Amino acid sequence: MNEDLSRLMDGDLDDAELDHLGADLRRPQALATWACYHAIGDTLRGCPHGSAGFGARFAAALAAEPTVLAPRPKARAERPAMRWAVAAAATVAAVGVVGWTAFSLTESPGTAIAKAREASGITSAQVRPQGVPQDYVLVHQEYSPATALQGVQPYLRAVSAQGSDARP
Amino acid sequence: MSSGCTPAPRGAPSARLARIAAVVVALAVAPVDPVRAQDAAAWLGKAAKAARELTYVGTIVYQHGPRVETSRLTHLYEGGAEYEKLVNLDGPAREVIRSQGEVRCYYPDAKIVRVEPRTFRNVFPSLSPQQQQALAQFYEFRVAEAARVAGLEAQAIVFEPRDGLRYGHKFWVHRDTGLLLKARLINEKGEAVEQFAFTDISIGARVERDHVKPSWPGTPPDWQLKEGSAGDAVAQDTGWAVTRLPPGFVKVNEGFRTLRGKRDPVAHLVFSDGLVAVSVFVESIAGMPGQALGTMRQGGLNVYSMKVDDHFVTVLGEAPAATVRQIALSVARR
Repeated sequence: MNEDLSRLMDGDLDDAELDHLGADLRRPQALATWACYHAIGDTLRGCPHGSAGFGARFAAALAAEPTVLAPRPKARAERPAMRWAVAAAATVAAVGVVGWTAFSLTESPGTAIAKAREASGITSAQVRPQGVPQDYVLVHQEYSPATALQGVQPYLRAVSAQGSDARP
Repeated sequence: MSSGCTPAPRGAPSARLARIAAVVVALAVAPVDPVRAQDAAAWLGKAAKAARELTYVGTIVYQHGPRVETSRLTHLYEGGAEYEKLVNLDGPAREVIRSQGEVRCYYPDAKIVRVEPRTFRNVFPSLSPQQQQALAQFYEFRVAEAARVAGLEAQAIVFEPRDGLRYGHKFWVHRDTGLLLKARLINEKGEAVEQFAFTDISIGARVERDHVKPSWPGTPPDWQLKEGSAGDAVAQDTGWAVTRLPPGFVKVNEGFRTLRGKRDPVAHLVFSDGLVAVSVFVESIAGMPGQALGTMRQGGLNVYSMKVDDHFVTVLGEAPAATVRQIALSVARR
């Protein structure tokens, strides 16, 4: 269990394990361990008071966010509460892992970077990219070496079905 | 949503320096074979020339994450100019027309056409020896297996990153013409982040100008036209800079752009490591109501948006999320 929590913070859990652990995290004992791990991280980073009330503030801020949740098209039939839970867990995990790995001083840069990247991957897999300004994507494409090699193909990034979830 | 803690990348400077030093040392000892560097540049130059100067029609399968989408591509090279039309075959209809002066994207369901001036510069035939060296310093280049793609004989070539700051690239090029038949972006786990592949292609096909024209003449009256303005490509100092650029990236462009009828121009800086580009956009908060913050992804592009004083900074490129984020967090006024 503690090992799984640690692996969650390291971004090493796959989706199935994440779901499973999400259920475990409802138990007070597990939550306490989770908080403890993050307190260690906060202390390492030299701001021991940083996490006081963080959970409450995070929950409030999350509740106030317009939903930028998860919906892969097939998942739309899921219960909304479930989508919230998964996305929230992923977001919490991502925030935790980024903070943690950035201050794991014993790690090689490559490992730390890879872990931070995985954490970001968790977030982006769950969050709909409606916030990506499409005109930026179009402008960028003209400067990308990929356009030199593939011509118009990379513009699919801007107009693909995923892009169309975003405002055109 | 700040926890009040120091953001990660601004953490203990000594640790950060140690990490940077480790990367620098690792790169300094990485052997750079000048012949290989030339080889890599030659492959890329040939592929870029083929993509531009051949006429071809084909079906493309575009994969990103769990999604698979099919599109039809028509490319015409005529009188020293290229004309391209890309139409997706599944999902809501989309069409991209790329011609001499501009790129037009049609979204018929939303009745929107988006137009951007074409500012493209073809980088590959003109890679300097220094750029070739830089490419070889940050990617291990090798010629891999022979393969068949879309029924054609192809040669696979690989650019493997030497650090964790960039994705790997695998290209399958047509043996006879050098045209790129398949391209894959690969993350540190060896997984495909994004892949473009022809499933059928006819190179040297007969293509008329009509085949590369938009399906809608002009802009239909009830459509919305979102137009960027030309003349933005002029290089100028925007007053913004990236203070901690990942090694290997150099600035290839800087200037202001006028986007989508925005009152204030948007600062745009482009950085490249030779294989990919990362764009930095900075505009006033007033121009970006409701803009989402943090990490986002669109196909092979990672995106990071944040506020810096009264500005929005958005960084996007074909690089890992951590690299894009690192660039975003170090954007500052010069």
